Amino acid sequence: MSQRHRLRSVLTLIELNGLIPIRTQPLYLVNLLASPLAFLFFITIASGGVLLAYGIGGGMILTMLSVGTGLQSDLTHYRHDLKFQDIVVASPVEAPTYVAGMALSELVYSTPGMLLFLGLWFVTGAATALHAFILAGALLLVWAFASALAFTLATWFEDVRETFMFSPLISLGLTVIPPVYYPLSALPQWAQYVALVSPTTYAASLVQSAMGLIPITWSTAAADWGILTAFTAGLFILASFKARWREA
Amino acid sequence: MSDDPAICAIGIGKRYPKAPPGVAALADLSLTVPAGKIYGLIGQNGAGKTTFVRIAATQLTPSSGEMYVLGHPILREERAIRARIACVPQESRPLYFLNTEEVVYLYLKLRGIDPLEARQRTKAALEELSLWEYRKRQVSRLSGGLRRRALVAMVLAADADLLFLDEPTTGLDPLARRQVWEAIRRASREHRTILLTTHYLDEAEALSARIALIDKGRMLLEGTAAELRGRVRLPYRVSVQGSALLSELEPYGRVSAIEGGFLVFAREADARELARWALERGHRVSMGPVTLEDVFLEVVGRPIEQDEPLAEGPEAA
Repeated sequence: MSQRHRLRSVLTLIELNGLIPIRTQPLYLVNLLASPLAFLFFITIASGGVLLAYGIGGGMILTMLSVGTGLQSDLTHYRHDLKFQDIVVASPVEAPTYVAGMALSELVYSTPGMLLFLGLWFVTGAATALHAFILAGALLLVWAFASALAFTLATWFEDVRETFMFSPLISLGLTVIPPVYYPLSALPQWAQYVALVSPTTYAASLVQSAMGLIPITWSTAAADWGILTAFTAGLFILASFKARWREA
Repeated sequence: MSDDPAICAIGIGKRYPKAPPGVAALADLSLTVPAGKIYGLIGQNGAGKTTFVRIAATQLTPSSGEMYVLGHPILREERAIRARIACVPQESRPLYFLNTEEVVYLYLKLRGIDPLEARQRTKAALEELSLWEYRKRQVSRLSGGLRRRALVAMVLAADADLLFLDEPTTGLDPLARRQVWEAIRRASREHRTILLTTHYLDEAEALSARIALIDKGRMLLEGTAAELRGRVRLPYRVSVQGSALLSELEPYGRVSAIEGGFLVFAREADARELARWALERGHRVSMGPVTLEDVFLEVVGRPIEQDEPLAEGPEAA
């Protein structure tokens, strides 16, 4: 398959799994917005508006992580219930093309949420081009990490119902316990060490620094980028070994 | 066109990781699918048909043996194979939010086909399978038969040399089945190879140049429909409707009771003799060569509709 054909396949998957479902059911767009908005609402009310900016930053991260949750369900459903993956395997489309197309298609669902949170940030904060660039980079890494996690988990699930069971646990472990909606310093010292296990801690550090909420040194920023990238790459490597493109 | 076979399987075996000890989905199965023909794979549910198709379509790894598809070894050159095949898996369903036209068109674009050509191929395939009037209807609002036809249209429209159709007409009404048959025949006339699995024996006989009968993962018979019929001990069937007694018919061959009379499987001379005898006594008689269903019953010992109790692993269909 040539690069042009691969690109066409990726774009087709975006259309097939992203644009068309939204055309037929526009509520998909709102669905992904519900949890981040609920968190933003509670945090803002409970803090008397002090943590509004944290709520916005956390909302962006949660929106990107939700893309991974959706991907995980879609992959499992398409493989087991519809046999769509079998149809694709027996075609010129290669596994990385399928992975890229499906992961990008899920980004479409995050568009309203990201636009809303970016809008809120521009209105309430002091956004600069550099900050926006750092923010975009960090969020793209969160998306890549969430996609890699989705592919890794989807290889284990035999039924879409299993994804319904795991998804809330994953969300809890990646967005509520780690300091996504508050600064790391708000946690007790021992809990800060525990939070370092979660890759979203590093993403939150980058997002919160880009939004001017926490000070960050160049070395810390470099470590955040490096660790987040390493987590993502590790998951992609794991997924590439475990993913059952051709079943054993 | 090359004389090389489209599929050459040599001693293929498959044991699923979660299968009980000693249970194999395929056991030392060898067969050759000639290029440009329709090849029928028949057997009960659980016989190993789908496992064989999935291995040949590079969706599943065999446990043992060798297989070459379109001249390429399946384990080392799967990319070369995948570029030239298309598959409708058993129990597959189109994505429910697409409309019928999008099922075909997007599949073609996914394979890398130019959008303009994809449009033309889509129209032709939908028209051929009488789906054009449903082209804008969402899959979730189609009947099961129309959904199945949309999937068949999808792979027939593809630019593939080898098509795997795993139970393509399950759930279709007789008219729709005939339309699918005609589309499959047309694909064959275009020198494409079709590996067809079915448990409709009339379908296998009507379409296939050669047929393989498998049971419990093993090949039992292989050949043309006429050759398969010729392999049974009693190649003629005589239906005798009326008041004939079982004891009067038994000397001619193997007798089974059917509604309103008896069915006798016999050698040709005995079948003629029986038919003459029955007509002389005013019984209603029909006589002809055995059907594939009769062959299946004699060789396997069970009718094809009776499911094989889980000979395959949990992942096999």
